[in-house]
Amino acid sequence: MNLGEIIFLITVVATLGGAAMAVLSGSIVYALLGLVAAMFGIAGLYIFLNSPFLSMMQILIYVGAVSVLIAFAIMLIGPLYRKPKEWTTVGKFVAALGVALVSLFTFVRFVMETFGDTLPQGVPLAESPSFKITTKEIGRLFFNDLVLPFELISLLVVVAILGAIMLALFSRGNK
Amino acid sequence: MEQIGNMIGWETVKMVVGLVGVLVFVVLNALILTWAERKVAGHMQRRIGPKEVGPYGLIQPIADALKLLGKEILTPREVDKPLYYLAPMIIFVPVLVSFVVIPFDASLQVMDINVGILVILAFSSLSVFSILMAGWGSNNKYALIGAIRSIAQNIAYEIPLLLALLPIIMMTNSFSLKSIVEAQHGLWFVVYQPFAFLIYFIAGVAETNRTPFDLPEAESELVAGYHTEYSGMRFALFFLAEYTNIFIVSAIAVTFFLGGYQGPFLPGIIWFLLKSYLLVFVIMWLRWTYPRVRFDQLLNISWKALIPLSFINLLITGGLLKL
Repeated sequence: MNLGEIIFLITVVATLGGAAMAVLSGSIVYALLGLVAAMFGIAGLYIFLNSPFLSMMQILIYVGAVSVLIAFAIMLIGPLYRKPKEWTTVGKFVAALGVALVSLFTFVRFVMETFGDTLPQGVPLAESPSFKITTKEIGRLFFNDLVLPFELISLLVVVAILGAIMLALFSRGNK
Repeated sequence: MEQIGNMIGWETVKMVVGLVGVLVFVVLNALILTWAERKVAGHMQRRIGPKEVGPYGLIQPIADALKLLGKEILTPREVDKPLYYLAPMIIFVPVLVSFVVIPFDASLQVMDINVGILVILAFSSLSVFSILMAGWGSNNKYALIGAIRSIAQNIAYEIPLLLALLPIIMMTNSFSLKSIVEAQHGLWFVVYQPFAFLIYFIAGVAETNRTPFDLPEAESELVAGYHTEYSGMRFALFFLAEYTNIFIVSAIAVTFFLGGYQGPFLPGIIWFLLKSYLLVFVIMWLRWTYPRVRFDQLLNISWKALIPLSFINLLITGGLLKL
């Protein structure tokens, strides 16, 4: 077992362990920290897939923005550290497992249907041409082939921002 | 030496030597900065500052460090133990990672990664989680309020920080810190991007929790903010991280806007350190010149001034680049 494999194992353990902690932990802060660990693990896996840019974006967006926002929301609801811990019940656990398995099945089917033929056979993934992607190519893709989904996402973000402004204005008017 | 090199690979040897060098630099930098801060504070208030221990008080920081090392490490009774113990260690991760990609000289850089600046920006968010863990785990009102403030501040100032660096990345077409420095061979980018430099510097001071933006640890309101319950060496780790963060913010400013290690006559490393410590001095100067802002003022500066201005700056830069 060489160094790379050990590091790969550590990232996998961080991802799975963090995800388990996020689902099972009794304390909301521990759940959040588990989520952060899982995000870091996923970022590490992206590095093993030869996409350092995506990996850094994963940390920047999911750890730096999304998780910090979740932390902010937790802080707003007040000090919880005196409350008893709420452990995940068996029912919740089974439900979560069901959702996870269904989404895994859908995802695998989707990947096989869409990319099943195009995946190069016998070539290690890291050496296949599709894995030498630079930021320039990502940008070009956004404004050529993927311009419609990109614009639709922008529209979604605009709607979300307008909704947030409306909510903020209404709650201010009620006071 | 040759044999060891062949056995584990020169890259590994280089990494290990680089990391040890980084650790030594982190400690030395913190020692010098604590001394410098007390001297600067002293002279700004018409005092002398430390002068008893060694010439000009130069050995004072070593005496302080020994005192902190010798202190008993107290753990308050009702703390959340894992969070409380992990927080001072995790605050060090972003600090060490940042040093790996900063180019001190043309050849003095642990690793030139082609997403260099993203590494620093991505990992810097970890320090917020460390503050959250410290504040939450301490089971102390002041610590918790400090952590809440720190998170709100981080959300507000992370955006202008990124948006101020983006025009430079657009101009050089690269995330690598080294190629950004090389691109400033003629003129420094501060000439092209004075607003971006100002926005970055203000946001950087806020990100390091320094006065006038030191609300997470405001002494007069919150005792010591998120590290109220820490003592001895654990407190010293927070202290080390804070001073190293000041240096990192200055070093990134130098790399992006002030030509990095480039300059006439002197070797690159000296230019780099001179420029960085000049900015560190400016940050200390700010601390002893301006009073602390109110929290609503702090958030208004970012959301109502810095973010719109940096967007406008970005748009203008993009437009001019395509002309």
